[in-house]
Amino acid sequence: MDELIYKLKQEIIEALNLEDMTPEDIDENASLFGEGLGLDSIDALELIVLMEKNYGIKLQDPNQGKEIFKSVKVMAEFIQQNRTK
Amino acid sequence: MTNKEIYVLSAKQISIQQPLSEEWMNNPTLYEPAFYRSIDPSFKEYVSPIEARRMGKILKRALATSKEALKASGLETVDAIVTGTGYGCIENTEFFLDALSKEGEQLLKPTYFMQSTHNTISSLIAIQTKNHGYNATYAHKGISFDSALYDAYLQFRLNKISSALVGGHDEMTETFYQILKKGGVIGFDNEICGEAAVSVVLSDKQENALCKLSGHKIIHQQGIESLKEKVAKFLQGNGKTCSDIDFILTGISGYKENDEAYMLETKALFGDRPLLKYKNLFGDSFTASGIGFYVAAQCLKSGFVPRNMFVNEKDITDKKPDNFLIFNRSDGTNYSLTLLEK
Repeated sequence: MDELIYKLKQEIIEALNLEDMTPEDIDENASLFGEGLGLDSIDALELIVLMEKNYGIKLQDPNQGKEIFKSVKVMAEFIQQNRTK
Repeated sequence: MTNKEIYVLSAKQISIQQPLSEEWMNNPTLYEPAFYRSIDPSFKEYVSPIEARRMGKILKRALATSKEALKASGLETVDAIVTGTGYGCIENTEFFLDALSKEGEQLLKPTYFMQSTHNTISSLIAIQTKNHGYNATYAHKGISFDSALYDAYLQFRLNKISSALVGGHDEMTETFYQILKKGGVIGFDNEICGEAAVSVVLSDKQENALCKLSGHKIIHQQGIESLKEKVAKFLQGNGKTCSDIDFILTGISGYKENDEAYMLETKALFGDRPLLKYKNLFGDSFTASGIGFYVAAQCLKSGFVPRNMFVNEKDITDKKPDNFLIFNRSDGTNYSLTLLEK
């Protein structure tokens, strides 16, 4: 799981163009939206694209995102359980 | 029209020379003919990584040069923000089209799409500097900066504004460079190609100014005789004759065809006035004339012209410049004249 979390942080940095950030700068338990990393709805779209492109996960219900994108750790757990590639 | 005077309070650049610095005047970075990307400063002090995530390089450079130019001018805000760009946010456009060709329409990243337009530059600067004034972007290839400057110039003369932030911003990618090279647009033999971001602050207040913007004109050529007539009228309108002009700053770049045209036309228009160049230091780009403006303003402020800017050895002099006439030639059809004075 630690390996996936680290890889996911790298992919988030790349997908969201967080050029000056490193995986170490992202707390895996911190909230991705709001007060944590401070992401917004456009980033949510980028994360949906990331999950489909890199892990073959297609979110059917947009409301699922609220739970899945709670933190990097929660996202990694969801990916591990649902990935098709 | 009023005779309101216009001063250049500050001018900042990010290019293939040291960014946000005038080190090129004494210690330039020298390049062989090829394409080079700009030397970027650290953008952290201008924008947080979270805010910067939606910005391509062109936007970050525009923001950094604008904030530095405003800081150096001593003005907190300006009446107008006017930008010129040849191709706008071309890198994100390329990312978007590349993804479209590789992934189809299913997995496109929204950010690349959002940032693939031209007019995000002026608006971003306005948002970041909390400016609610006049805001416009011009996209006219090699006279984009000149067009933005002309807009601001006319608004000063019409007494509509007292200050303006005028910018010229262009980025270039290796892929786009190769496409334009194949199309015969840029990237000719013996030519350095670069990227450029320039921001200048203009004001009707003279205090601590780099120089004065005395005149600016864009001309669509109708033959050399017509050009001669318009140049003479421009100089006359500014109370000058050819012999009053210290230096003609040209877009001579190392590309034979371009340089021959410059030599021929400057000879016909300005006789033997000393010619200067800057593209040997900064490279060519759609915003090169903005760099020319920056170079002339800094030379007037510092009181010297670096020797590697002289086109002809016989003209090399240590004379302190009193004025520069920037003569920009774009595609052999559009021209601009900009008179800067001490």
